[in-house]
This record gives sequence, C-alpha cells and structure tokens, in this order.
Amino acid sequence: MTDDKKSYLTTSRRSLLKATVLLALASTSIGTLIIPAPAKAAGKKVIIGAFADGGLTPFKQKIIPLAKEAGFDIDFLEDEYGVTLEKWFADAQNGAGQYDLYLLDDPWVPQFGAANVLEDLGAAGLGVDDKDWIGPLIDMGFWPPRSGPRVAAFKDATPTLICAPFIGDLQTLTYRNDVYTNGAPKTWDEVISKGKEGVASGKIKYPVVFRGVAGNSIVTSWYSIFLSFGGEFFDDKWNPTFNSEAGKAASDFFVGTMKQNASAGVVEFDSDQEGAAILGGDAGAIIQYSGNALKSDDPAQSKVVGKLDFGVVPKQVKAISQLGIFIAGVPKSAPNKANAIEFLKWYTSADTQAKVAEAGMIPVKRSAFGIAKPGNRLIPVALQQLDAGALPRPRMPEWAKVEELLGIELNKALQAGSGGGAAMDAAANEVKEYLAQAGYYQ
Amino acid sequence: MNPKGGILSMNPKGQILTKQRLQGAGLDLALPYLMLAPAVLVVLCVLVYPFWDGLRASVQAYRYGTAVGWAGLDNYVRLWSDDQFLNALWVSIRFVFLAVAIETVLGFALALFCLREFKGIRLLRTVLIIPMVITPVVVAILFRLIYASDAGMITALSVAIGGGQVQILGDPVNAFIGLVVLDVWEWTPLMFLILLAGLQSLPQEPFEAARVDGAGAWRSFVDLTLPMMRPVLAIAIVLRTIDAFGTFDQVFVLTRGGPGEATKLVSIYGYDTAFKFQQTGYASAMFVTVGLIVLAMALTAVRLLQKEAQE
Repeated sequence: MTDDKKSYLTTSRRSLLKATVLLALASTSIGTLIIPAPAKAAGKKVIIGAFADGGLTPFKQKIIPLAKEAGFDIDFLEDEYGVTLEKWFADAQNGAGQYDLYLLDDPWVPQFGAANVLEDLGAAGLGVDDKDWIGPLIDMGFWPPRSGPRVAAFKDATPTLICAPFIGDLQTLTYRNDVYTNGAPKTWDEVISKGKEGVASGKIKYPVVFRGVAGNSIVTSWYSIFLSFGGEFFDDKWNPTFNSEAGKAASDFFVGTMKQNASAGVVEFDSDQEGAAILGGDAGAIIQYSGNALKSDDPAQSKVVGKLDFGVVPKQVKAISQLGIFIAGVPKSAPNKANAIEFLKWYTSADTQAKVAEAGMIPVKRSAFGIAKPGNRLIPVALQQLDAGALPRPRMPEWAKVEELLGIELNKALQAGSGGGAAMDAAANEVKEYLAQAGYYQ
Repeated sequence: MNPKGGILSMNPKGQILTKQRLQGAGLDLALPYLMLAPAVLVVLCVLVYPFWDGLRASVQAYRYGTAVGWAGLDNYVRLWSDDQFLNALWVSIRFVFLAVAIETVLGFALALFCLREFKGIRLLRTVLIIPMVITPVVVAILFRLIYASDAGMITALSVAIGGGQVQILGDPVNAFIGLVVLDVWEWTPLMFLILLAGLQSLPQEPFEAARVDGAGAWRSFVDLTLPMMRPVLAIAIVLRTIDAFGTFDQVFVLTRGGPGEATKLVSIYGYDTAFKFQQTGYASAMFVTVGLIVLAMALTAVRLLQKEAQE
C-alpha cells in the first residue's frame, strides 16, 4: 500500500476532532427535530407531589377533572410514602423547583417549617381567620405552633401558616357488622371479647389487625391505643411522658393482648397487609385512616362488601384518635408558585370543599360535612370522631427520629409479645438523650 | 509523510511547513488530554467532588438540614457512643462476613463444576449468571413475596404439607438469614464468573504432571488449584466485600432494617440519618468512617497478596 493510500485510509487527528464535533451537532439537531416540544399547557400548570395512598383516589378520579374545568393543568406525581419526605425536603432545600405543591403527611410540617422552605400561605391570602376551617386541622398548618410547647429556636417566632389542610384524615374504627352486631364496640375489651366470639363462629380468623413494622408503621397503630388509655407524649418542656403508667398499660395491651388476637405474622405487617386482612375478611376490627376504609364498599377490592361499618375509636379512658391529615405546602422554589396558591384557594373554598365531600374525601372545612349526600359513609363518622377528640402527633422537627426510636423498641416488644412497659422506658431514655443532644433542654 | 510524523508541505521556502509542524505538534500534545477530558470531568463531578463535599460536611454541625458551623471531630467522636451506629456496624460486618464466605465457597464449587466441558454446559453457565443481572430492587420484591408470612411462597408450601405460617421477616434471626440468602442468591454468580475465569487461565502442565505422578483429584485441588487460585480468590473476595458493605436496595425493600434493628446495615442507618433525620454532617462522618474501615480491609488484603507474591 502506498503512503498516499495509507493517509487516505488512516483517521487523522483533525478529522477525528471534526467528526466528534459533527456527531455532537448532528445528535443535538436530530434530538431537537425528533423529540417534540412539550405541548403548551392547557391551563394554569400546578405540579403536585403526593405519596401513594388510597385516601387520594377520589382526588385523582374526581377532583383533578374539576380542577381542569376551573382552569388548572394538574401534573400529579406520586411516590412511595417511604421516600417522599427525603425527596421533597431535598427539592425544597436545594431550590430544585421540581414541584409546586407537596401533599405532606402532617408530622413533616415542623421539619419543613424549621428549614424555612415553604411559602407563607397566610400572607398569600389563604384566609387564616376563616371560621369554617376545622380548628385542629388549620392549627397543624402553622409553624411554630399556635399553641402547645415550642422548640427553643422558635420560642419567640410568630406563627405562620405554611401549609393548608388538604384531606381531613384521621383514624377511625372499621369493624365487621356481622361480628359486632350491636354496633361499633365502645371499649377495647369489647373489641377483643366479641372478636373472639367471631373467630369461634368462623366468621373471621382473628379479632384485630394492625401494623407491626418498626418506625412510623407501628407507632401509627399504637398511637390511638395510647391516646385511648389516656397517655400523653411529652410534657410542656419536651420531657418524654409516654412511659407514664397509662402509656405502659397501653403498650402492654398493644404488644400482648392485641398481638395474641391478631395474625401470627403481624410483626411484619404494614398498611398493605393490614388492609388485605380487613378487606379480605380475615380480621374483625381495625383502627385505620381513610385510605383502606374507602375501599370497603368496592367489590373489586373488598371480599366483605356490606359487612364493614365505621365508628369512633374504642376507649379505655377516652375515645381519642390520631389526626393524620394530608396537608399542602408550596415550596419557595416552586416554578408555578402563583398557580399553586390560586389552586389552594380554589380547593379550600366552601364550594369546592362541598364537592370534595361529594367525591368521598374527608373535607377540611366544617360546612362541607353538612352536605346532603357525602360521597361515602365514612365522612359523618369522621366528624363524630373529630368532635369526640382527635390529636396530632407532637409538633417538632425531630419527630421522625423520635418515632424511629420508639418504633424500634415497640417492634422488639411486639416480637417478644410482652414487655411493652419496659419498651416505653427504654424508648423514653433514648428520646431524652437524643433531644438533649439536639439542644432541647438548654 | 516525513519520518518524524510531521506533515510535508509543498512550499519551497519552508514557512508554511514550520507552521504546520507547530500546529501538528500542538495537537499531538493536546489530543490525549482532550480525549481524556470528558472522563476526567465525570470522575471529578461524580467521585472527587462528592467525596470532598462529604468530607467537608462530616466536620460541620447541621440544624434542620442546614450547616450552622464547624464541628471539628465531634461527629466522629459521637459515632462511638451511638448504640444504633455500633449495632448497624456489627450487623453489617456479620452480614458481609457470612454472605461473602458462602458466596465464595458456592461460587468456587460451581466454577469447578462448570470448568468441565459437557453437553449443555454453555446453557448452564448462562443460566447461573441470571440472578446477577436482575435489578436488586426486583430481587428484593421477589424475596418479599417468597418470605411474606401471610401469603408468601414458603408459608404456602408449609401449609400445603400440613404446617403453619413461617415467620421470616417478623423474626430477627430468620430475617437476617433471609437477607443473607437473598444476597447469596444474587451475588454467587459474580464469584462464579470471576473464579471460573481464573480456573480457565491456570496452566495445564502442573496438573498433567501431578496426574502422571499419581495424584488424585483432591490432592491436585489442595496442592495445585488452591495455591494457584489464591490471588484470584483474594481479588474476588476484596471486590465482593467492598460491594457487600454498600448493600442498600435489597434491605430497603425487603426489611427496611427490621424487625427491630436486626437487618439495619450502616447503609440504611446512614441513609435515614442523612435524609430522614436531616443530620447531614453526622451521616457523612458515618460514611467516611465506614469507607475508611473498608479501605483498610482492602489495603490489608492487597498487601498480603503482594507479600505472598514476593515470597
């Protein structure tokens, strides 16, 4: 082969560079031509982030189309519950601007509030003084809290509405009406004794079901029992008081009696399994949020349609349940901030709230509970529970860690089937140590 | 072309020739760097910067997700009085030791078996590496379906033969063993592949000589295969150990660290600390410490290898 032919066939440095540049330009141009530009929004765009939960099904099916009619273009992004807190917090803190609205779990509000990453919705005109709000629900949107103990760093700060209640979810009792034939059981003793009769008659496999997985899951199931036994979590100086006599009795009942009357595998049960147990006809009663309760009358999801009724949580001392509302916050980095705030104003207006109740979601304005035809049987019971008593979890930025520490000890006691009181003492020590290190007692 | 590689010019005076030579020489010098630049940039962005940022975060105090000041070595000191961290470290060490040991033995046995040529061996080798190519999250979901006490496959089998519910994820010991089994199922193929490649590269002469001298299979294995495979085994074990310390996806999906803290590896505890509890500095100190422990282990293994090679 001659030198000329060689130089013709050999790739030169210059041609290699040229080819690289041309390739890059070509791929960019082709990409621009092939990938269509996003269609222009049909309305005011709002990107909503939510965690997957049955309680949001009516919102997706009925309220988003209504919002579209009202001129909003909703982009609804769902994630697993277990990853949303960290994902949204990172989004808000880094100013990534991926969302216009977060549908938070209410215990996360202090964490976002302390980090100062959410918009002041009161200043944006959301109607802080509107008497139609359900008091305990709107209170949960303020940081620092309007009442109750405050963490030291925010002792003198002015409470600001950083979140708006979105779904007034709270725990209520779901029970089998063919087992509890006299209506909702009033006490925990009745839940167990009547449940045992149901097991003996072959109607159910076990009287109760709950979540046993460590962390948020087990604490969620334990909390309403703890409240019904008269327990209080902290004193006004953030000293743990959940290891009081009432707290220990509730915990012993939970890891002992409740476990003995639940599925053998309850230690590993999360919301999926507890939902399957009640909707599959295995369990007699459950304390739960609206997510699974809303499925009770759907033959596609429930094997016991017509056999599940709702009631106020049973009491030992008080019939108090846990509030666990969906609550909406607008990040300061939201790309469509004005639209998000306008959407919230529309959504929380009395008219839309009436439609929310018609759709089967628990509203956040009292007037909406009075509509002629609520979308499901749970809504009037939710109001009864609100009036009987419902409390939020402690309003502190460190709640996730506190819940983790308590949840691990409770889960260990549940595995053993005893030692609920000792678990409370152990958890109280760990929580106290953690909060001391976080500067709570200075 | 001239012998030195410059570009010949037609200009009789030589000026253009000089310019072209200079251009060519400049390009010669720059081209390797230009070609390396994208890779270096990527390494700087995804490896060096995050490591530096993590190191910096580990000596800072954080409050509500924001750095509020210098913490010195406080975060590192605090680690050794944190029962949750110490437990997570101990769980991680037990998990890595058990999983890697079983994977090595099984992987070696499979590699020795698949070294022989027989009908269907190619298919068998392919099938054996399938677990390794499945996404870890999918593997974890599959094992969750197998282990679930209410509707899992093991419980279904147990019920079918007259037994009851089998508690795996609800029992601390069983859940830990279940996690090790998952890891062994997924990563034994990696050991198998590395060790098979090592076995195939061994010289045949020593084995033939041993056979002529009357050595049996066991003697050949102990006196020839094992000593000659030692460097490959060491590299495979070091690689797998480093990887196993970083196990996250499977635990996150399968147990989330429970029951209690039975399967809470440092990776899970560190993740929660950083992202759920927003203690970025403390979590960074945790990961730097674990990184140093793993690095020390890897360096020790490499040193031992070098020492052995010198001897």
